[in-house]
Amino acid sequence: MAIIEEISEFLQKGRAKNVKALVTQALEEGEDPKAILNEGLLSGMMIIGEKFKKDEVFVPDVLIAARAMNTGLAVLEPRLVEIGNEPVGKAVIGTVKGDLHDIGKNLVMMMLKGVGFEIHDLGVDVEPETFVDKAEEVGADIIGMSALLSTTMPNMGEVVEELKNRGLREKYIVMIGGAPVTEKFAREIGVDYYTPDAATCAEIAKKAVEERK
Amino acid sequence: MTPRELVYATLEFENKTHRVPRQMWTLPYSEWKYPDMIDRIHREFPDDIIGAPAVLREKTIEEGDPYRHGVSRDAWGCKVTNIHEGIIGEVLTPLVEDEEWEDVDKIHIPREWLSFDRDEVNAFCRSTDRFVTSGCCPRPFEQLQFIRKTENLYMDLTDIPELMGTFMKDMHAFYCELLEEWAKTEVDAITFMDDWGSQSSLLINPSLWRQIFKPMYKDYAEIGKKYNKKVFMHSDGYILDILPDFAEIGVDAVNSQIFCIGIDKLAPLAGKITFWGEMDRQHLLVEGTAGDIQAAVSKVRETLWKQGGCIAQCEFGPGAAPQNVYEVFKNWAEW
Repeated sequence: MAIIEEISEFLQKGRAKNVKALVTQALEEGEDPKAILNEGLLSGMMIIGEKFKKDEVFVPDVLIAARAMNTGLAVLEPRLVEIGNEPVGKAVIGTVKGDLHDIGKNLVMMMLKGVGFEIHDLGVDVEPETFVDKAEEVGADIIGMSALLSTTMPNMGEVVEELKNRGLREKYIVMIGGAPVTEKFAREIGVDYYTPDAATCAEIAKKAVEERK
Repeated sequence: MTPRELVYATLEFENKTHRVPRQMWTLPYSEWKYPDMIDRIHREFPDDIIGAPAVLREKTIEEGDPYRHGVSRDAWGCKVTNIHEGIIGEVLTPLVEDEEWEDVDKIHIPREWLSFDRDEVNAFCRSTDRFVTSGCCPRPFEQLQFIRKTENLYMDLTDIPELMGTFMKDMHAFYCELLEEWAKTEVDAITFMDDWGSQSSLLINPSLWRQIFKPMYKDYAEIGKKYNKKVFMHSDGYILDILPDFAEIGVDAVNSQIFCIGIDKLAPLAGKITFWGEMDRQHLLVEGTAGDIQAAVSKVRETLWKQGGCIAQCEFGPGAAPQNVYEVFKNWAEW
């Protein structure tokens, strides 16, 4: 089995130590860092995402795969910087004001990272202004919001209003998700996409950014 | 027929009265914000199921009020942060931080819970004609999440560190001891809980669940049966995959998000387990019309009622429109 394929295989099993060792070895053997990233790490994570969507793997499997990916990325990133590798896009992600739940948001971040996004995590209980400020600061393509409570869900609309007030609504792709969130609600508050799970979010985010470019 | 007899008949699928037992759950959020509506519902549609008081002789290590703004500490030592008055907060920093659980000694097993006043419980049970549930509610998975934080815990479960495994055995032994003490009282049912579903699937692989957690719940259910108690369990989310397991191990009534799962998918379980609520609190109670609620109650009754098997339960929590909660009980009463 080729070393890059092995990286993908071990990542899918969540074997962080193996992934780290194989990425190190692949670099030493002169493999192209972009190939290690795209065909090894990201390919493995995308397979996990697909399986997650089909209920073939579950949250713990995604988490350990993401941990393995991050371990590999830590080794690879200095080389990616050297060769000027660009991310698929940039995403600013947070849980909305009044809400401290973060597991859904974190899963989305992992999946977005797994398809090649640069992620800016705003954490939980995030003010509407902070979403917009950060997006402007880092030149984001996507603003992503999460909420678990039906009482905090309306705060997603406040971010949209903040964008409108600053004349920035069309500049960003706005995506939302979370247990009580629905397609209908997404339409009502005027965001671009609602996705029911983290893997679908990553898939649609990548497509949406590519279409804009 | 007393409310207690009504609940027993419902759990045993021998309820021929056309009266469905009721129970409204409230959170401090609704108790503080809508006291008048809560009074009205309790007055017009009194609960048939109530919880026993747990008066402890020994003080736990709990500090603060988890339903108020700020940081509180639970009986196990986990710090809970709350920014939303009236509902429970979140653990932001794990109590056990080490991946190998080397700092497991930070956890305090709340043996103080064993000091509950048995005489008070028994007197309470004798003083009421309503069905009484235990004043303890083991929740191994949820407590492990509080101890370790959700993400860490999920990863730990894929390859359980030795010290974590030892702690889980201790925790389970404690929960069994606690449940057995409650089962020795005159309560009608023991209760336990853990939220096992996401919006569309189980949180962990069903085979992993069956390997690690199902045996724990089986032990709990067997304690209940040993003392002729009914067994009630709560589990949020999409838990269709494991509902037959609950029926198999002897759970009599399960409180779950039956609308998240889909009522029709539950039809094969009608007559095998009692659905202890609920009504959809994510959408129906928040934004439903009176007609929507009438249709929802009818759907549950037509699909799941088999001379029993349903309890008219719903949670009056954040986001729920007070009138909609009222409509739930009104519709269940209008059979």
